[in-house]
Amino acid sequence: MMSLPWDPTERDNMANKQRGEGTSVEKKAENKKGADDFNLALDSSDDEAPEEVTFEDSKARAVESLKLALDTARREKELLKEKRRKRQEFFQEQKVCLTFFSCIINISFLYKLGANFYAITGSYTVSTVTDRGQSDYQRQAAEDFIQSRLYGPGSCRSSNNEMLSLQNKTRADKSAAVQFVKKDWGAFKNTINEPQTML
Amino acid sequence: MGEFKVHRVRFFDYMPSAIRSMAFNSHTERLAVARADGAVEIFNFADNYFQEKVIAGRDGRSIEALCWVGCRLFSAGLDGEITEYDLENLRPRYSIEAYGGPIWTISGNSEGTLLAAGCEDGTVKMFEVLEDRIQFQRNLSRQKGRIISLSWHPSGAQIAAGMMDMIRIFDSETGHATHRLLVDRGVGASKSREVVVWSVACLNDHTIISGDSAGKVQIWDGLTGTLIRTHLVTKWDVLVLAVSQDESSVIAGTSEGTIVQFQFISSTVGQQDKLWVRTRTFKNHSHDVRALVHTDSAVISGGMDTQLVVRPLLDKVEKNTQESALRKIAFPHRNLVSCAKKAGLLLFQFPDHLELWRLGESDRNETFPVKTRTPGESLPVKRKPEKLIQLKTKGEDHICCSALSPCGSWLSYATVAAVRLYRLQISSNNISIQKVSKLPRELKSVHQLCFSSDSCRLFASSSFSSVVVVALDQTDCKYLHTLKHKSGSRQPIHILSPSEDGQWLATANTDCEIHVFNLRKMKLHCSVPAYSSCPTAVSIHPTTGNLVSVHADQQIFEFSLKQKEYSEWSRQLQRQGLHPLWLQRDTPVTSIAFNPNNPAHIMLHDVFMFCIIDQSLPLPEAKTKFYNQMILRSLPEPQRLRESHAFKTCKNFQHLLSVNLLEDLSLVVVERPLVDIVAQLPAPVRQKKFAT
Repeated sequence: MMSLPWDPTERDNMANKQRGEGTSVEKKAENKKGADDFNLALDSSDDEAPEEVTFEDSKARAVESLKLALDTARREKELLKEKRRKRQEFFQEQKVCLTFFSCIINISFLYKLGANFYAITGSYTVSTVTDRGQSDYQRQAAEDFIQSRLYGPGSCRSSNNEMLSLQNKTRADKSAAVQFVKKDWGAFKNTINEPQTML
Repeated sequence: MGEFKVHRVRFFDYMPSAIRSMAFNSHTERLAVARADGAVEIFNFADNYFQEKVIAGRDGRSIEALCWVGCRLFSAGLDGEITEYDLENLRPRYSIEAYGGPIWTISGNSEGTLLAAGCEDGTVKMFEVLEDRIQFQRNLSRQKGRIISLSWHPSGAQIAAGMMDMIRIFDSETGHATHRLLVDRGVGASKSREVVVWSVACLNDHTIISGDSAGKVQIWDGLTGTLIRTHLVTKWDVLVLAVSQDESSVIAGTSEGTIVQFQFISSTVGQQDKLWVRTRTFKNHSHDVRALVHTDSAVISGGMDTQLVVRPLLDKVEKNTQESALRKIAFPHRNLVSCAKKAGLLLFQFPDHLELWRLGESDRNETFPVKTRTPGESLPVKRKPEKLIQLKTKGEDHICCSALSPCGSWLSYATVAAVRLYRLQISSNNISIQKVSKLPRELKSVHQLCFSSDSCRLFASSSFSSVVVVALDQTDCKYLHTLKHKSGSRQPIHILSPSEDGQWLATANTDCEIHVFNLRKMKLHCSVPAYSSCPTAVSIHPTTGNLVSVHADQQIFEFSLKQKEYSEWSRQLQRQGLHPLWLQRDTPVTSIAFNPNNPAHIMLHDVFMFCIIDQSLPLPEAKTKFYNQMILRSLPEPQRLRESHAFKTCKNFQHLLSVNLLEDLSLVVVERPLVDIVAQLPAPVRQKKFAT
């Protein structure tokens, strides 16, 4: 219940009257107190208008705080990403080492001949694990990169049908648009190696 | 003179592979071309641009860059390996892992001592070039972002690397990156995408030229690291750059299929201030240009439209000569089709599989003989051609060569890893194929295969320019002999041609040698005198026993095996010279056949024409009309004989991949129209043309 910044008039007291004597007395007391307080506060700056906060200022402050929040969020994300990347790299390096040097050796006796030379005696089986999964994945990712750069969105590609038809229409002896014998020829191909089945 | 029933075959779905990279060796004048399927082809530019050698590709091998170091050829690709090739045995010599992820580019320094590889992980890896291998030396300082292109400074002191959004210049001694040149992104929608510096070139005066995905060619000062000039040449990507030997000209290939030339000239004549000025634009291709070479006199380009184009620069060669003609190489210079003449079967060779087809038949009980039909008339097909077998290779290696025996009961193919032989049993309602499991161990490293005419022998050209002969039995195969010549050449044999009677075997290798072996005695009979141009087709006449050879420079020779000297007809041909129109043809003759009904006829073909040389008719003189078949048809009979000359050409069929004469004297013509190939290429860029 907000107290009025001016002396309550009859009209203002109408609400109090409607609520009943008891309350209104209390309220009045309250009001008076609140008003007094307010009056006290107002006394000091009674003649001054409320502090003018321009729209631009408040907008600037709001934008600033928003930017700060976004910046912190972004920094945190980058940090997390960096951490994740480093961890991933570390794992990948480990994996590469592992796959290349992966030998299963059951040795019965291993003795040192020199600084870096070891001799293995007894029975042993050696098998190397060739893991092409990693390199295939990377090769596919690299091929996808070229694919998307040359044929991906924004590459402004046409079709062979359209190109050949334009050639037919713009040369000296003009002829009709090209109709391919097989229906799947000339379809909008936006892959380097495999034909697409669409259009 | 010649009426033939012709089987027009258009069901060979031959699809060439896109050209991904090229490298020119100016000392040997050989161009190495890498295709998207991993195959490497060598063209001899000193011998009429003949496709000398083809090293078959492999599933999973994708070549991104090729590089000559001296006479050694290296390639690198997205599988992360650097491969050196054995050009005598047509196979990779070895491959080493670079451990940098996919490799985007390799480049050798001018001394030929170091090979630099640009990798996906942002490292430029240096390899020392040793005598028999390459060895990892060190990494240059690692960058954040993939290394897409590399270029050494001619002195070897710096190396420029094209990356994403920037170019880095490294000091090759210390390995540190000294400069960073920032490349602007495209405008509009492409501003949000990183710009890829697809190609860089380092010149002697420390100028760096770059081509990027925003369509710009930029000129930089490599010493200060500043941009001198920007040329926007296309809306799409500039994919590749090449610099001429004297560094006065740079060419840039684009996704539009155009090649833009920049020359280092002064803007006004006589002035000293030179700058890079855009001069010519060539539109040689319909699809993206991904590989370029700039020789002293020509611009060589290749790309997604699979054609190799040689464009001589008209300010370097004499105009209106053979030398100044535009050359487009769209079809292979060897035969991919084998024909079983007695059985009416065709074998088509694809990189990863073979197809065996039975030819169709027209009305068998013909009421009208061939002679009363009008030329060019189409006969109704009673039984359609039928694909009998599709044989997929085992393993990842692609097929180098294949052969079908004349009786149609044996089929063989070879990859770099193995040779396979199959027994076929084909009847009208049943087909069976059985692999011959135990093959002689001498059958390895095979470049060419051929069956004898009686289907009892298989000839395989192998390493050190030798030929392995195996005998074929009902179900298995036995090693007989290895034929060797004494010339000392180790070049691979690319042509094998046995005679009809089984007495002779003619062989030709890429050192331009033709050796003839006596198969009854299993030893060398004679060698044809050396000629400077490589043979493209060789065959032995069934009745006269003369060896007919056609070479890359379009010369024709006839050599008598009995007298071991050139025949009289051949000498006369040399004295008179071949007609200029014959010599100007730009595709080689890939097979020679003879007509049993008419011993004076020699049947040849190239991609654009089929020709019958009648040795009984006079040779055409230089001023005679060469292509005269239409005219002759309109003349009355007695005059026709007077006007005829020996070369009868037919241009009705195009583009010819193979022409064979069956036992029943009908012709089989395998055509592959170029438009059918273009129809299945990847998408070209969308060009907006006025009023369309």
